[in-house]
Amino acid sequence: MSKPKRLHPAAVILHIVIGIRNSLFFFILLFVTLFDDKLLYAFLAMLALLLLIIITSVLTWQRFTYRVEEDELRLEYGIIIRKKRFISKHRIQSIDLTQNILHRIFKLTKVEIETAGTGAEAEASLICVTLTEGEALRAELKSISSREQHENEIEEEAYLAQTITRKQLLLAGATSGSIGVLLAIAGFAFSEIERFIPSNFYDDAYRWIIGLGLLIMVLFIVGTLLLLWLLGIIGTMIKYWNFTITKVDEDIVITRGLLEKKQITIPLKRIQAVGYAESVIRQPFGYATVIAEIAGGSNEKGEDFSTVLFPIMKVEEVEAFLEKFLPMYVNKQNNMQSLPKRARKYYIIRMTIPALLLLGVVFFVFPHLSWIPLILLAVCVGLSLLQHKDAGYLINGQKLLIRYRNINKVTMVLHHKRIQAFNKKQNWFHRKENLARLKLSIIGKMGLGKHYTIKELDVTDVDDLSDWYSYRKKG
Amino acid sequence: MRKPPEHTISKDAIKAWKITAILYEAIAWVLTIVGFILFITIDFPLWIVLIVAVLTAISTYFSIFMLPKLRWRRWRYEVFEQEIYIQHGILVVSRTLIPMIRVQHVETQQGPILKKFGLASVSISTAATTHEIPALSNEIASDLRDKISALAKVDEDDV
Repeated sequence: MSKPKRLHPAAVILHIVIGIRNSLFFFILLFVTLFDDKLLYAFLAMLALLLLIIITSVLTWQRFTYRVEEDELRLEYGIIIRKKRFISKHRIQSIDLTQNILHRIFKLTKVEIETAGTGAEAEASLICVTLTEGEALRAELKSISSREQHENEIEEEAYLAQTITRKQLLLAGATSGSIGVLLAIAGFAFSEIERFIPSNFYDDAYRWIIGLGLLIMVLFIVGTLLLLWLLGIIGTMIKYWNFTITKVDEDIVITRGLLEKKQITIPLKRIQAVGYAESVIRQPFGYATVIAEIAGGSNEKGEDFSTVLFPIMKVEEVEAFLEKFLPMYVNKQNNMQSLPKRARKYYIIRMTIPALLLLGVVFFVFPHLSWIPLILLAVCVGLSLLQHKDAGYLINGQKLLIRYRNINKVTMVLHHKRIQAFNKKQNWFHRKENLARLKLSIIGKMGLGKHYTIKELDVTDVDDLSDWYSYRKKG
Repeated sequence: MRKPPEHTISKDAIKAWKITAILYEAIAWVLTIVGFILFITIDFPLWIVLIVAVLTAISTYFSIFMLPKLRWRRWRYEVFEQEIYIQHGILVVSRTLIPMIRVQHVETQQGPILKKFGLASVSISTAATTHEIPALSNEIASDLRDKISALAKVDEDDV
């Protein structure tokens, strides 16, 4: 693969589409300003702009070449300023293949190559090559010479894999975050409607008609909510369609998507922490999302910016799942150290103060709406109790399991060597009551740190953890 | 993490912080004076000006006369062969452990105020966090930087 190659000619079309999208503003501007009296000029100008986009697209395609030479991916591109970019095979962290609808019609794919560098953009992006070429390129860049023969021997079927079932997919959609918002809206809407009903009873003449109107309104609202919910389900299904996780040697490969097919490669070495999140809606049904924190410049976003390893599964299945794919993150012990009772009041106070302030304001400004912050207050108290109950940690050799809840309950397993810094914080009240706040930092996305905080642990627990973390030998 | 770290930072830090605070407070006082002028010339509401003046006076007292000393008293650090241990914070006391093998780079910095007192600050970066030890004397700061940089070995398994 040493001869410089161009992208597939369909890349020109993609460039044109991107070009038009980027200059859409100019098109609209031209149209609006010249619409009245100089329509002809407007069309001419637009035509010129379009021509310019087409020419640059063709030139961009013509100038862009890539080749694999001496263990390096070498790109040459640029119309006016010629650029050469060489990326060493050994520095490549991940190679992602993405196919949108256009790609899929012509059996093409987009190849994105990422190194550990920071930034949201991939280091090299081949927007359009044939699928076979893309896969060949990936195989070539992935293989480090010693492993090359070895890899050919193993058949595809030998790799561990797990695919989302239709039922799971449906469940994932039905319990996706959007339903929470919808329920809140529904609750609000219904209680508001109730307030309007009594006034209608007085007027007998209009009662029937307005009653009917009300019925239509209620139906309309329910219908809208159902529609939104369905849209949420469809959105999730499109995103996680055929979600498959595969373990290929030292990589985790995830493929997913209905309209845009994505393939993401995550080297095991880049994984910083693995765990599962139980969202408020899924927790009652015993379902969780398996997530991981990955270091590096990946722009793949999941829930709370963590990478989704599997969208939905029963909490009991998580252990078996990790055993299969990431055995070093399995935790079998179950005696978690929780927070002391005296920590509970901090959680309640922290959560209720904003709600109380809101209640105060609403009470004086709109007294008749006081019930909204009251409900909020109740929710906050409930949540704070759960936050206190769920938080905790467990040391298991070199592994540390932490559990916390902001809204969703998150359980993460961290390795000692992956923790970048350890922080203990105490305010004046904490010192009086022997409590402390723990903060652990690991490497996160795009060169930023990801920080895990457990508030109000017993101070002796935090000190024990610091002994566990400290590299100094204790005498 | 039961005992605080051993070393304090340079005592001149108090002076340096005081000067920085004075510069910031000067801006607040200028605003207060402008308020008074506005009150005299265009009848700007006096109560607003008075509130600003009181707030400025309080913040001046705290940030120039009280906090620098408390802050200095709390600021401690200790560098071991295997890790760095830092403590700081006035109301909220924060203690941090940074293992040497996690240190990515160390640098010393010196602004004009620190320079006047022959001080420099050392900042230590890991892949996820940055920590600063402010206001050490020049020699200690550069010794510390060299020491940490020598001790910071790259972990084989690093990303």
